[in-house]
Amino acid sequence: MIHPTQIQDMLQAALETGGDFAEVFVEDRTNGQLGMTGGVVDTALSGRDFGIGIRIMKEHFSVYAYTSDMSEQSLIRLAKSAAKAIRGGGAPGTHAITLHPHTIPNQHPIAIIPDGSQKRAKIDMMRRAHEAASQYDPSITQTSVGISNSIQNVLIANSNGLLVEDTRTYTRMRISAIATHGEHRQSGFRGPGAYAGTEFLENLNIEENARHAARIATTMVKAGYAPSGRLPVVIENGFGGVLFHEACGHGLESTAVAHGTSVFANKIGQQVASPLVTAIDDGTIQNAWGSLNIDDEGAPTQRNVLIENGILKGYLIDRMGSRQMGVPATGSGRRQSYKFAPASRMNNTFIANGDSTREEIIANTEYGIYAKSLGGGSVNTSTSEFNFAVEEAYMIRNGKIAEPVKGATLIGKGIETLQNIDMVSNNLDHGQGMCGSVSGSLPVNCGQPTIRVSEMTVGGRKGE
Amino acid sequence: MNIQQFQEALFAIGREMGYADMEIYYVNGRSTSVKVLKGEIDQYTIVENGGLSFRGVINGKMGYASTEKLELDVIDFLLEEARSNADILESEEQDELFAGSESYPEQPAYASTLADTVPEILIEAALEMERTALAADPRIVMARHCSVSIRENEVLIVNTKGLHCHRRKSLATAYVYVIAADHGETVTGGWHDYSLRSVEEIDIVDVAHKAVQEAVSKLGAHTIQSDNYPVIFRHDAAAQLLAAYTSVFSAESVDKGFSRLAGKLGQKVASERITLIDDPLMENVPAGSTFDAEGSATCRNEIIKDGELRTYFHNRKTARKAGVESTSHASKGSYNGKIGVSYHNLYVEPGTSTLEEMIRKTDRGLMIVELQGLHAGTNTASGNFSLACLGYWIEQGQVVRAVNQITVSGNFFDVLQQVEEVGNDLRFTGSCTSPSLKLAALSISGS
Repeated sequence: MIHPTQIQDMLQAALETGGDFAEVFVEDRTNGQLGMTGGVVDTALSGRDFGIGIRIMKEHFSVYAYTSDMSEQSLIRLAKSAAKAIRGGGAPGTHAITLHPHTIPNQHPIAIIPDGSQKRAKIDMMRRAHEAASQYDPSITQTSVGISNSIQNVLIANSNGLLVEDTRTYTRMRISAIATHGEHRQSGFRGPGAYAGTEFLENLNIEENARHAARIATTMVKAGYAPSGRLPVVIENGFGGVLFHEACGHGLESTAVAHGTSVFANKIGQQVASPLVTAIDDGTIQNAWGSLNIDDEGAPTQRNVLIENGILKGYLIDRMGSRQMGVPATGSGRRQSYKFAPASRMNNTFIANGDSTREEIIANTEYGIYAKSLGGGSVNTSTSEFNFAVEEAYMIRNGKIAEPVKGATLIGKGIETLQNIDMVSNNLDHGQGMCGSVSGSLPVNCGQPTIRVSEMTVGGRKGE
Repeated sequence: MNIQQFQEALFAIGREMGYADMEIYYVNGRSTSVKVLKGEIDQYTIVENGGLSFRGVINGKMGYASTEKLELDVIDFLLEEARSNADILESEEQDELFAGSESYPEQPAYASTLADTVPEILIEAALEMERTALAADPRIVMARHCSVSIRENEVLIVNTKGLHCHRRKSLATAYVYVIAADHGETVTGGWHDYSLRSVEEIDIVDVAHKAVQEAVSKLGAHTIQSDNYPVIFRHDAAAQLLAAYTSVFSAESVDKGFSRLAGKLGQKVASERITLIDDPLMENVPAGSTFDAEGSATCRNEIIKDGELRTYFHNRKTARKAGVESTSHASKGSYNGKIGVSYHNLYVEPGTSTLEEMIRKTDRGLMIVELQGLHAGTNTASGNFSLACLGYWIEQGQVVRAVNQITVSGNFFDVLQQVEEVGNDLRFTGSCTSPSLKLAALSISGS
């Protein structure tokens, strides 16, 4: 991708003004995107992203610069102009940097590497999704299906001598269905993805996913509005884990914790959640959407226990967070591309299995909301106020799932909500999402077994 | 390799491969931004970056491919991928390249000196903004994010039909987001401003004071009882809500059955107080352009006039299908996307009431100043929304206290119809803005 001596020269130039650490991130990425609306292929895009980012640190201050101009003189110019921003001088660069290339074992086998020759086969898969969704119910009036894949080659080198390369392969299918009922329209979505090649699509139950999206649209278009106010909420397994992701995960990132602005700061060893809650962020799950061999600072990913039986055990820490907090990094430095400096981010975050069954949880709930499919959400880590949208919800009455309801946005505050988790079942599953934050938009898994929160604010509509 | 050399080589090889017509859409930008924290520079970012999207007609169909690398060795990738992408497209309405409009509006003045602002000016402005914010109120505990940045970018569209469109723009922005705490309660608030000419033109002190005011006024918040209340969406929240639903005005969404506004041209879709304008030619606003992503000359369009839907956003393809003229709304979400449809500088025409008057005329109600989770809590197909929000409780014409832990639910299309009053406080801060809007009732969930 780029010659090691060139990188060495860049790193050396970067430290000329007294920086104490420099890092280069080189990226060569190929993207493919196919789209179909109403069964007609209307999008076919291919792209090649290519660029280099350089980061220089001096104590707790960092400079980041990037460019897609890879000419040798441009790279040195970039390193030098970034170095100029290092203030306070210090000993000018006497660092002799020797890079030690090392290979890391690949934990995520890819069977079929995505390439242009698979376009027709992928169109057949998209058509199967379109047909399954549109035949699900007469109320389905439109579908939109897409397949995207990318191969990201990265090279990470730093002034400590690290030189490592990795290839990340992603494949994802998106299925949207729209149902119409009189004046009302509603959409349903399903977006399974993996750190995998085209074999992921070949093994995927496309029809089932398409029917799932169609079911959400069909059910919700005829549903009445959810009630308002504080209610017990049962959240289904899989992507329901976005609750934990927003309520807690972001608040455990060193980006939020290092300056003491997160409600989870300085709470290691304290009870921050119900004793039923054990939560883990694991970047090593084989071929999972949020997994990596190495993070975007070149460190191996790991399994990080965040909360164990309700007690806060650890944070997600990148290199800068490690400096600021004086604790080791956790392999959690991630970035969307060379256009972003890395930050501490989640990989595959989930709540571990408990002892209840899903059936027990529902049977034990006299009146509440059953959140079957969740959309995305967001959080303000300084106040821990979070929200997320429920795509498909039902009322629970007398221990049974009753009529569907729409518009059930759930809101709360982090620790309060975690402490209100009063039942956890044994059916852990994971869902895929894109997580947006300071270092861009990243693939993450959100997982959980079915859980119950004894009380949450449900944003429905009064009097409907 | 510079862009002109690359384009010439690309078109020459493309012609040999059998491309009938070809176009490049090139963007290039540079920026510098400084973020300070606790009196020190925390982050400093320098960017020089570009990308190119190619599209070309081969065997009667249009194919797309893009690259960030402008070297001879990617030309084959672009041409091969675009050909195989063209080959599989099934859509009957094909894009076609455009030779250009007869004439173009004059480009606004470009501040060539802005991008050359020395870093010390950015640093000093950011430090002063942080100092001002921290000193403004003892309850401010930290400026969580305090940054000043400058950027410039250019767009170049060149095709074999003779189109040659080029623009250069520059922008300076200052943004501060503070944390206030009192009696164990933590709140946040931010503000930002911009200048098209120079960093010095931004009133840094004012930005800092407004951010502080935003934060501290949220202290003492608690929820309210679930009920239907009169609601004022303050200008910023109104802009957030409008921005989440702009795709419903896209002719592409209408054509594909994603928008409820299908078949509504000439009908009353909003309160007669609502006039929605897209004016790419307005001066001194951050968004705007004299040509769109297909190279059509832009002009001012009234999308809704006194509540009546006048037009959708059209590019040349959607316009041809609908049998109308393009409204020059061709867009590219990013340089590497395909041609879509979007607005340039969209806003609700301001009314006559000040925000204070709107509050004064509210007996019991809520003013919403911030909506959260819009990417998930809004549904453009149905128009329904249910969103976490922050605001202030109003009683007898006065703001009484801050409100948090609530959601607001409704339907965007109903909101448009139910606007009772439009404020005069339009402030252009991005590409989609609105003055404050007052509604008779919306559903609020709280305790």
